[in-house]
Amino acid sequence: MSDKVGIPRALFYHTYYPLWRAFFGELGVETIVSPETNKEILNEGIKHVVDETCLPVKVFFGHIAELNKAGVDYLFVPRMVSVEKKAYICPKFMGLPDMLRASKLAHLALIMPVINLVKAAQAEEQFILESAAPFTGNRRLIKKAWRVALQEQQGHEENLRRKALAVNADSGSAVRRKITESGWKNDDLTILLLGHDYNVYDRYVNMGIMEKLRHLGCQVVTSALLSREERELRLKQFPRSVFWTYGRNLMGAVFRFFDYAGKKGVIILSSFGCGIDSFIDHFIMRRLAAQKIPYLNVVLDEHTGEGGLNTRLEAFIDIIQWRRDYHQSYISTYGQHVGRS
Amino acid sequence: MGNTWVALKGMLEYIGLEVIVPPPITKDTLTLGVQHSPEFACLPLKINIGNLIEAKRMGAEVFIMAGGAGPCRFGLYAQLEKEILQDLGYEYDSFIIEPPDTGYWQFLRQIKRIVGHASWWRVFQGVRFGYQKALAVDKLERLLEEIRPREVVKGTGDKIFQNALRIIDQAQNFGELEESYILSREKLRHIPQDEEKEPLKIGLVGEIYTMLEPYASLEIEKKLGYMGAEVHRSIFLSDWIREHLFLKAKAKSFRNFAGPWLNHFVGGHGQETIGAGVVFAQAGFDGIVQVAPLTCMPEIVAHNIFPEVSRNYGIPVLNIYVDEQTGEAGINTRLEAFLELLQARRKPMRKGTADPVPSPGAVSTSQASTNAVSTSTVFTSAAQVSGAGNEAADGEIAGCDGGKEAGKDSLTM
Repeated sequence: MSDKVGIPRALFYHTYYPLWRAFFGELGVETIVSPETNKEILNEGIKHVVDETCLPVKVFFGHIAELNKAGVDYLFVPRMVSVEKKAYICPKFMGLPDMLRASKLAHLALIMPVINLVKAAQAEEQFILESAAPFTGNRRLIKKAWRVALQEQQGHEENLRRKALAVNADSGSAVRRKITESGWKNDDLTILLLGHDYNVYDRYVNMGIMEKLRHLGCQVVTSALLSREERELRLKQFPRSVFWTYGRNLMGAVFRFFDYAGKKGVIILSSFGCGIDSFIDHFIMRRLAAQKIPYLNVVLDEHTGEGGLNTRLEAFIDIIQWRRDYHQSYISTYGQHVGRS
Repeated sequence: MGNTWVALKGMLEYIGLEVIVPPPITKDTLTLGVQHSPEFACLPLKINIGNLIEAKRMGAEVFIMAGGAGPCRFGLYAQLEKEILQDLGYEYDSFIIEPPDTGYWQFLRQIKRIVGHASWWRVFQGVRFGYQKALAVDKLERLLEEIRPREVVKGTGDKIFQNALRIIDQAQNFGELEESYILSREKLRHIPQDEEKEPLKIGLVGEIYTMLEPYASLEIEKKLGYMGAEVHRSIFLSDWIREHLFLKAKAKSFRNFAGPWLNHFVGGHGQETIGAGVVFAQAGFDGIVQVAPLTCMPEIVAHNIFPEVSRNYGIPVLNIYVDEQTGEAGINTRLEAFLELLQARRKPMRKGTADPVPSPGAVSTSQASTNAVSTSTVFTSAAQVSGAGNEAADGEIAGCDGGKEAGKDSLTM
């Protein structure tokens, strides 16, 4: 019987799951993922951390509790210090394994390798050896598994990017057609949904904001539309180095979005108390305001209420709509002003 | 930040620059800062912005700010401040000094750009002079921490210390500095004290800004002192200079004591906070107070780990987060309650009688500390409820600041 590794469906799952599934799969280890976030999971998570902690970390602890019951042999909780040169993830990611241990929540054996590529991009060997240590010591096998996994991850990212770029092409979907018939004409409106992966892809945490936007007839793109190289290029516009990977993603995506065609708006999703977003969002908003692109800042925490979000989204879309109508009706005939003065 | 200005001013004047010291931080400073900063930024940034605006009004032309390479937010302070001040129409030349940890030569080049004509020797001596001033101030402050709970007439020590700051600030060379230091030290030592008293010993740990700037932490250190506790602070300016500028003494750092609780650097002073907590606990202190700005990422990690440290060493921990909403009366009540709790713990042990609590000491203290933790969150959770209670929809639409203001108002409920 093969070993089972539990991966909580939280935080880094949303960015790196394909990588890990492939990696452990190659080693003959089964990966078990906790179910999608729900109210019980969140409530369980809140019990195990202090109030000041941000929502995603609370959700993470809930998923750990869930995996305790799932009959896995190991829990995979890597210490994600840095995944690229000169950029960290976030202090809370760095302290995550320690917080987990202090909470005494996990009853299972933990796999807690450190990945830190801040200084050198080659430091990942130690990481993969440690990750695989409970299962095999065979270096060749591990390295091969890692290569396969990297490819898998690359394919996954490529896929996301293609989808993001193709967004303009699939305007014929059923939902959108229906909406268009009913009088809504938002199908040419593109919304950039900015947020850390674990907020953007967790449908419970963000209350299905992506679906909501699609139902309002908007096309949604995320920071996945950027390749690494392009992001670096765009970031040159910013005078200092941004030392958070998620921050880099968001900022690069915004710079890219500036030259997106058509009507557009930006929705910034952040967690309450997120230190990274408190700064990055501010930088982004200043630049959006300068470019006259409408934006909406949604702050998430455990006091969720869907009604409020719906209202705000609709109001936001309406505002963009009015702006456009206003501009369209403001074509003066020769020699005289029409409409509003 | 706190008494840092004495050292920095000493250094820059020695090199031959004119220095404008912003007025001490007041409510106005904070209000100015809060008005112009991002809502969720941490308290030090807000105070910083307020300081810079006030200094500009006094005629400052250049601001010098330390940079950083993460993961703490501080590394982007300078950039954010620059942009905010620019929008406000304050023309500032800014110098951002990257810490020497990331490259010594680059650091020296930046210094050279600021100092202009001064020779390297002068610069070196200037840095040394500033460091000596910091050291003198810190030594006196450590002495003051011991005096506060014991002095017969409350406030004597602080008065002498304020005077000491002035004469240390006026010292122009190493000789004068030495003289003023010794003079102040002797004055402090001659304060009439209650020799019999055995005050509670409290370890004060946390984020560097709230440690060094009394206004940011609502003078917790002084308050504890006057309530009759001997406070030992984990961070002093001179330690910081020694570690970051002279790249020394890492071996003695509190960081080494953080394991096994916190085994990795988490940015800011998170690891030092835990490490210092462990050191204080091992040294037999009565309690630990952790102070941090609200939403400080490294300190939240430390906060999450503290209950475990507390359980293990049987030492109560009080966690206090400060931001612009923090009220003084609330802090006073909590500190008083905390000290009373510690005093109550101490009595039975002193008399050698049986512990009134049937469970072992360690367990009872851990309960006490979790109580403390939960009270510590009263303020902040109130902020969360009202700030985000509107269906998690606390934010703003472009060109409409109303939402933000409304959110602020509701916090005062």
